[in-house]
Amino acid sequence: MISCDHLTKVYNGAGKSTTILMLVGLIQPTSGACYIDGTEVAAHPIEVKKKIGYMPEDVGFYADRTAEENLDYAARFYGLKDDERKRRVDDLLALVGLDGVGTKVGGYSKGMRQRLGLARALVNDPAVVILDEPTANLDPRGVLDYRRIVRDLADRGTTVLVSSHILSEVGKVCTSVGILARGRLIASGDREVLSRAAMQDKVVIDVDTMTPMPRITNPEILSAEYSQDSCSARIVARGDISALIAKTPYAEGILPRRLAVEKPDMEDILLSYYTEGTA
Amino acid sequence: MTATGLRIIAKKEFSDHLRSRRFHLLFAILVIIAAVGMITGIVQYTKDLSDYNSVQMIAQDEDDPTLAGNLAGLKPSILSAYSQMGMLMAGIGVVLGIARGFDLVTREKESKSLKSLLAYPVFRDEVINGKALGGVGAIALAMGVVLVVSVAIMTILGIVPNFDEFVRILVFGGVSFLLVFTFFALALLMSTVSKDSGSALLYSLIVMIVLSSFIPIFAYGPVYSAVFGDTPTQPGMATYSYQQGSSAYMVTTTKVGVQASDAIDPEALKEYERASREYMAQKQAITDLVTLVSPTGNYQAVLGAAAQPAGDNDPGLSSLLGVLACNIIALLAMPAAFFGLAWVRFMREDIR
Repeated sequence: MISCDHLTKVYNGAGKSTTILMLVGLIQPTSGACYIDGTEVAAHPIEVKKKIGYMPEDVGFYADRTAEENLDYAARFYGLKDDERKRRVDDLLALVGLDGVGTKVGGYSKGMRQRLGLARALVNDPAVVILDEPTANLDPRGVLDYRRIVRDLADRGTTVLVSSHILSEVGKVCTSVGILARGRLIASGDREVLSRAAMQDKVVIDVDTMTPMPRITNPEILSAEYSQDSCSARIVARGDISALIAKTPYAEGILPRRLAVEKPDMEDILLSYYTEGTA
Repeated sequence: MTATGLRIIAKKEFSDHLRSRRFHLLFAILVIIAAVGMITGIVQYTKDLSDYNSVQMIAQDEDDPTLAGNLAGLKPSILSAYSQMGMLMAGIGVVLGIARGFDLVTREKESKSLKSLLAYPVFRDEVINGKALGGVGAIALAMGVVLVVSVAIMTILGIVPNFDEFVRILVFGGVSFLLVFTFFALALLMSTVSKDSGSALLYSLIVMIVLSSFIPIFAYGPVYSAVFGDTPTQPGMATYSYQQGSSAYMVTTTKVGVQASDAIDPEALKEYERASREYMAQKQAITDLVTLVSPTGNYQAVLGAAAQPAGDNDPGLSSLLGVLACNIIALLAMPAAFFGLAWVRFMREDIR
């Protein structure tokens, strides 16, 4: 549903915020093109903007207006009639837990503004919702509400694109993951598939020995941490070389204390891809 | 392409202006100044009219049609009140224009709402156009109220302007609006080029001071003499000084301190007159040219002509406006130029 081709020449960090700004039509790609639902963003910005809901990382509002007024203003751009607009605004405020808050947005906490930002991104009932760091300022209750809302949206068939550096959060709500490094999409696809592709043979071996063990060398070893006295080590390998590793110290009469295969988390996946992508 | 976004933004901006405390304060000052200026002007007008009528009565009593005829063209006009009001408006109106425009874009940047606004289905030009329209609407409303208040005060005090005066009052309203709009557009430009509202306000004030004070100083003051030299000195040491005393529109001129020249060289006098004419013509040309880049200079030139009392020798408003066409075009061109620059800058701005 969303695609970006050849997103080169972007000038900051990994490029996820820049990619999002291109997707919502705020900046133009220097080369290549962005598509949302088959529509090129740069060529048909208004058509695309009608389909998307966007919550920026640094979400901003008109401080001298209430949440209701801010949402009502946003809703006007999508051509909603008065009664429809009122109903939609009330529903969204209830959805994010801000119903009944009559104060002006200038007095809101960061978390409340984040909730309101999420409500505003949904004001046009978009087909695609783009959220940039959506849980950055939320309290635990807010995070739970956010997950519930995102899952509900996904269940209804809405595409939700979440950009986040809180990888545990991404792992909890996303079914597909794209990894950007230095302006390039280095991997994308189903999270489980990516996980298997990146980490399926990852082996973590903990070794304890009575006497210092020799350094183990093998091209499949990704990392190896030895204690100061070299009597214990934590070895991470790409392939399943547990037998080889276990055999080496065993042959010298050293018994490995623990040999375990762990399920990778999002950080392991990202680091694995990023290491390969930047190598 | 529909103008829905433009309409929504303009409406919101207009509403923001009307809700703003700054606007309330400046609007109140503007109305008070207009009312005070008008009442003061009417009091002076009533006194002048009374003096004028007294002279007319004397002329009739003495059966001196020459005296009456000479005074006929100097009948006082209520427009003199607008002339006074215009001088006050030039100050507060400029402040109003800058106050309404300097943070239009920077405020959106500071509150980080610009990114969200541009993510709505709206073209970028609709945003800047909508902001300008909202501001223009608020300024037009303020100026309209000022005009209505001034006419209402006149009417309440029993003065009904004739058609010509009414047209001139509308011209006054129009050029006053253009003056305020010029500084509004300037402030909007500064708002697009600045990172924050404080800088935008500072830059606006600096340009305003240059346009309103430095340029007139150059055009009329000692700077001109320093650059282009002093007025040619009259040969023969014949000096004249004049003392004018005026009561109403009756002007008396008395020569005092006359020194007769012993021997004036006619050739030198002729040369002096030629040099003097050239100097004055050059000064006038440069003054006119420099005035064109000063909005307040243009405003005062047009206002001075429009608020002239209409007499038998009056060339008529249309003729006056024809003479002042350059000033009027400059009054229209400057806000257009400021807004054009603001528009281009905003369209090219990198929003992140």
